[in-house]
Amino acid sequence: MALPPNVTEAEFSAALSEFASAVGAEWVFSSDEDVALYRDSYSIYWDEPEERVASAAVAPADVEQVQQIVRVANKYRIPLYPISTGRNLTYGGSAPNLSGSVVVDLKRMNRVLEVDEDRHFALVEPGVSYYDLYQHIQERGLKVMLDVPDPGWGSPVGNSLDRGVGFTMAPFRDHFGAHCGMEVVTPEGEVLRTGNGALPGSESWQDYRYGVGPMVDGLFAQSNFGIVTKMGFWLMPMPETYLTGTVTVPRYRDFDSLVKEVSYLEDSFLIGMPAFGSPAAAGGFGGGSPAFASLMQNGWPSVEQLEQFVSTQGRPAWSVDLRFYGPEEVVRASWESAKRRFRDRVPGAAFQDGDLWRLPLSPEAQATSVLKPQLGIPALEIFDMVARNANTIDDPWEGHADFFAFLPRKADAVHNAARVMFETYTEMGVPPLHHPFSTPVNFYSRAFIVVTFIPTWRDPARNAQSRELFSKILDRCAENGWGSYRTSPAFQDQLVSKYSYNDNALLRFQEKLKDGIDPNGIISPGRYGIWPAGMRSGRA
Amino acid sequence: MRKTTSILVPMLTAACSLAVGQTAPSADKGKVIYDRWCTPCHGAVAPPENRFGGDGLPGTSALRFKYQGRLPELLEERTDLVPEFIRAVVRGGFFGMPITRKTEISDAELEDIIAYLTTNSD
Repeated sequence: MALPPNVTEAEFSAALSEFASAVGAEWVFSSDEDVALYRDSYSIYWDEPEERVASAAVAPADVEQVQQIVRVANKYRIPLYPISTGRNLTYGGSAPNLSGSVVVDLKRMNRVLEVDEDRHFALVEPGVSYYDLYQHIQERGLKVMLDVPDPGWGSPVGNSLDRGVGFTMAPFRDHFGAHCGMEVVTPEGEVLRTGNGALPGSESWQDYRYGVGPMVDGLFAQSNFGIVTKMGFWLMPMPETYLTGTVTVPRYRDFDSLVKEVSYLEDSFLIGMPAFGSPAAAGGFGGGSPAFASLMQNGWPSVEQLEQFVSTQGRPAWSVDLRFYGPEEVVRASWESAKRRFRDRVPGAAFQDGDLWRLPLSPEAQATSVLKPQLGIPALEIFDMVARNANTIDDPWEGHADFFAFLPRKADAVHNAARVMFETYTEMGVPPLHHPFSTPVNFYSRAFIVVTFIPTWRDPARNAQSRELFSKILDRCAENGWGSYRTSPAFQDQLVSKYSYNDNALLRFQEKLKDGIDPNGIISPGRYGIWPAGMRSGRA
Repeated sequence: MRKTTSILVPMLTAACSLAVGQTAPSADKGKVIYDRWCTPCHGAVAPPENRFGGDGLPGTSALRFKYQGRLPELLEERTDLVPEFIRAVVRGGFFGMPITRKTEISDAELEDIIAYLTTNSD
């Protein structure tokens, strides 16, 4: 039996027994076979000594049981690691930061407590998945649209607490930003509610999130200051229609103008999440034209070479798919005004009208739709990326570790980040994914992300290579001032160490909070670099 | 098409090893659980394209690439699935398909899924 650090077998057995008294013996998992189910399927340390593994798991059914678990953990100094649905794959899944932790599996707390279609919010428990919430809304015909991550089998609570993202309008696809009100079990076992939830008799817990005084909700995201047991989310009213349209611009240099105009539309709340592309370089390294391969054979080309390449392709350099939500009259007018603005600002801009969909989609249309995430419909189709696919027929991945370089919305920043990725891959002898036509995503409406996908395996030697590549990309990006929004426990200390302004003042402040709020250091030790006082000696 | 005449065989086989108080695995229940947990990747109805070179749901597409027509890409049409293999994949993960915990699919529910997926087994 694995043990938590600095806990004797007798103490651990006593703790497990008390956990069983709290939740029922059937909901305490301590056999090797059961504990193995909490491994991170995508671990980049699979089967190596550094793999983070649990000692046991306990699955409470309600907030009172969570409180009891926390009290027992304090009594025996047992580190806990709460998960909601445990589907945070690529970012650690259901495995803890600290080996030997007891996973608090909140999957059984799966009640949709409220969905209000007039005030447009939901209140849910941690075990509710996006599928569950979607089904609840569908069955009742409620006129609200979810904003879902892709894949969509995680939970609104867990996804937002790791600052997950979606695909619709800016205020909703920032999932933590769209939350309103939390219930939290503190590390000492008290229950607190944030915002107007702290006001007895308030009916506006999910309407006004600040309450009075300091807003502490942020302490519970990517952190270890408590266990969130309820959370409210603002939802978009179900739009009447969804309209798409594509803009293309002819020259390589036009990306700058394209970005500025898309940012205007985004920040004016006229469009949902845009999707950039490059028709000229379609396929890139994964299947581009011979001319593209020739362009890249001597390394990163000059702008003049890139313009020359584009001019010979007969296709525009860049494209962006714009997505409009709202009444038909409004979305059609928005698209027409967008065309006018692009036409006025980018010589040679061209337009392709897309389809108009009336919402909600029929069940039949949903099943065959390629638009699921954009329309708030949970799906798992993105797993095609990691499952055996056309690019990996003979050598499928086991998982992936992604690095998201966060950038200002500037053309130069995108090209620079792509070049840093390209050069790092090339230096390591790994076929690069990025090239001068790489495009950003902007899950967060005010930032661009250049993302790279690195495979994980069940083979230590191959994982070592993936780790070296990931680590090097993280270092190189940080040298350029580019962080990332989220990463697995394997890289959290390294990532956090980059946010070092003024001698790590931010982390030191967080550690002071940790010492005061969680004096025994029982909640998720090490999560996002925040270790209890007795475990800090090795940090950067 | 699914065969229905052989449903009783795996159910009776499983029932022989039931402890007191347990109910026999149910292929009907298994289908409900399968539809909820498995069809989003292993189902038949899919968009006409996806983003990484396949043309169906990822589990279905992956098995099409793997078997190249030698075996059905839909698990529900397979006749060679055995309980041990299904348990191992669900509980151990397999090429991108992650581990499924007992708080998600209980052991009893897994036996229901097995009853459903082995309905066609030889």
